[in-house]
Amino acid sequence: MWLVYKKELLEILRDKKTLIFSILLPTLIFPVLFFAIGKFTANKTEEAENKEIKVAFISSESLPGFADLFTREKGFIKVELESDDFQSAILDKKVDYIFEVPEGATLPSNSQKQEVLKVYSKESTKLDNILGKRVDDVVEAFNNTQRMELGRNFDLTTENVKAFNKPILLEENNFATQREKIGEFAGPMLAYLLIALAVSGAMYPALELGVGEKERGTLETLLLTPMSKGQIVMAKFGVIFTASFFTVIVTLLSYLFWVWIFSLFAMDSSVAADPDSLTGKQSGGGLDFLSNISSLDLLLVAVLLVPLTSIFASVMLSASIYAKNMKEAQAYMSPIFMIGFMPVIVAFVPGMELNVKTAMIPVTNVALAMKDLIKGTVDYGLITILLVSTAALAGGLLYWTTVFFKKEKVLFRS
Amino acid sequence: MIEIKDLAKTFAYDKKEAKKKKKGKIVTDPREGEGVFHAVKDVSFNCKPGEVLGLLGPNGAGKTTTLRMLSTALQPTAGQILINGHDVTKEPRYAQKQIGFLSGKTGLYHRLSVRENVAYFGRMHGLSRQQIDERIEKIFTMLDMHSFAGKRADDLSTGMMQRASIARAVIHEPKVLVFDEPTTGLDVISAKTVLDFIQSYKGSEMAVIFSTHHLHEVEKLCDRVCLIDLGETKFFGPTKEFAASTASGSLYDAFLASVNKKEVA
Repeated sequence: MWLVYKKELLEILRDKKTLIFSILLPTLIFPVLFFAIGKFTANKTEEAENKEIKVAFISSESLPGFADLFTREKGFIKVELESDDFQSAILDKKVDYIFEVPEGATLPSNSQKQEVLKVYSKESTKLDNILGKRVDDVVEAFNNTQRMELGRNFDLTTENVKAFNKPILLEENNFATQREKIGEFAGPMLAYLLIALAVSGAMYPALELGVGEKERGTLETLLLTPMSKGQIVMAKFGVIFTASFFTVIVTLLSYLFWVWIFSLFAMDSSVAADPDSLTGKQSGGGLDFLSNISSLDLLLVAVLLVPLTSIFASVMLSASIYAKNMKEAQAYMSPIFMIGFMPVIVAFVPGMELNVKTAMIPVTNVALAMKDLIKGTVDYGLITILLVSTAALAGGLLYWTTVFFKKEKVLFRS
Repeated sequence: MIEIKDLAKTFAYDKKEAKKKKKGKIVTDPREGEGVFHAVKDVSFNCKPGEVLGLLGPNGAGKTTTLRMLSTALQPTAGQILINGHDVTKEPRYAQKQIGFLSGKTGLYHRLSVRENVAYFGRMHGLSRQQIDERIEKIFTMLDMHSFAGKRADDLSTGMMQRASIARAVIHEPKVLVFDEPTTGLDVISAKTVLDFIQSYKGSEMAVIFSTHHLHEVEKLCDRVCLIDLGETKFFGPTKEFAASTASGSLYDAFLASVNKKEVA
């Protein structure tokens, strides 16, 4: 069996495509892409935060101080409208926000009534939302001055105004750790990435060692040697498992390595790391976050992938052996990928958590457990249930693959 | 010595295929039964050491299925296959060690060199490294393969590929050589290499079964022939006797006269 295993592995390693998918992509291309996307997003956010917002006012003289508050605020510029066509002015980017004060409006502090202003803008992207928040902040500042003025009119103290404004103020004391907060976001990301890689890492070798051998005519030759079919299929399974698991482990290690590298880079650039922030800008926090994850938890993430990778290796090898040709095999692989990945999506539906029941749902259980391991909230008893149930399924599927491989109708299907 | 007695192989259609066949209600082959196909119904022949036996028959006659049963890839439904008195179905490992198989379709591992390919199959047959080195030296010299021994299989010409396939098939020094249409798709020079190789085993202690559609190759190489048609042995005997069964004395005419006319047409 080892003879076949070593030979298959040698062949796979001599294939440039395998090297690209198993080593180059996870070690270089994926991390660089992830961090490049993170950097790009951070830059865009910064750009929106510093962008000069063009504002215009209609009849603002009846609300003294309103327009002035914008012009005094850094990053806002007042423009004059050339026509009454507000829509064209906004779509042509001559102005970003137009505030229309209704006729007869007065300061609420004087009239003791609420005034309704119309605001015209075009907010469709996340970056527009950042601009919108900046506008809201200025309006809120104006409202505050009006509240205070109203309070004075009614002989209210500042405390009275605060009580009117917010009868109850919640002062948050969140006991969730930084690891839990980041893990809630990073856990699913890591599960998506590793499970997707486990599936795609098994796909190419499965195609090569199953239908690929059939098409090249080497499978029949192999069957005529004194090696038993059971040994042959076990060797093939071993190679697919190795390739898939290797891809995942390399990705995991390269991710840790690149986080370390980028953290060094971030520190060198004197970028202040905000421990509460989840944005890419504070990538220096990545290492802090990772340093909170114990070696046992990281090891368990890898261990969870063993039965999971076995499941995909067995299913894909069976499909590949069953297929008459490469085209048919590829047609089977896409649904397997989709079906295999669906439970991962289910795992991150709000309300889903690892318990005795979900610990027995294949794939979903691994995704949930990975999230809990990263967050540091895992129940190790449930991990045992998960490992036993997933290993039982993986073993069953491997046995079925072996039986399947012995069927003449499968091997000589035409 | 190979002895094949009353060999039969039946394949069951899967439900979808059976339904399709039933719906069509057109029986195109008398071997089709209710949900089954009798690929081989009754085949018998034998082949002695030093002999080259020609296996003839039109496409779909059951030749490849017979050879697959002989090589243990398929299990017979009925009948017996003996190699030196050992029952192939009961002792498949013995049979696999005795048989060398080569067809026009059997390939090599493309990312391994010729030498690695041949050595791999030697190891699969349980040979030691020393035995493999000695045999590779002998076979590569015989087939003039030293010049491309280090080349990867995906860089070989068709002729080189076929020589490498021969080397792969005989590395374990089998006592029975099975050639299933080995010259199909080969140019004249490559085909000659294969035919010369088969010729070289005539009179040796090896029994050679040679399945082909090229009757001139049979005339040149085979002592006896076995003609299979519709899964049954139609003739088994000396090649000359088969050719003499028609007035013209030609193997070609004898073949046409013996097989299912519809199939030939």
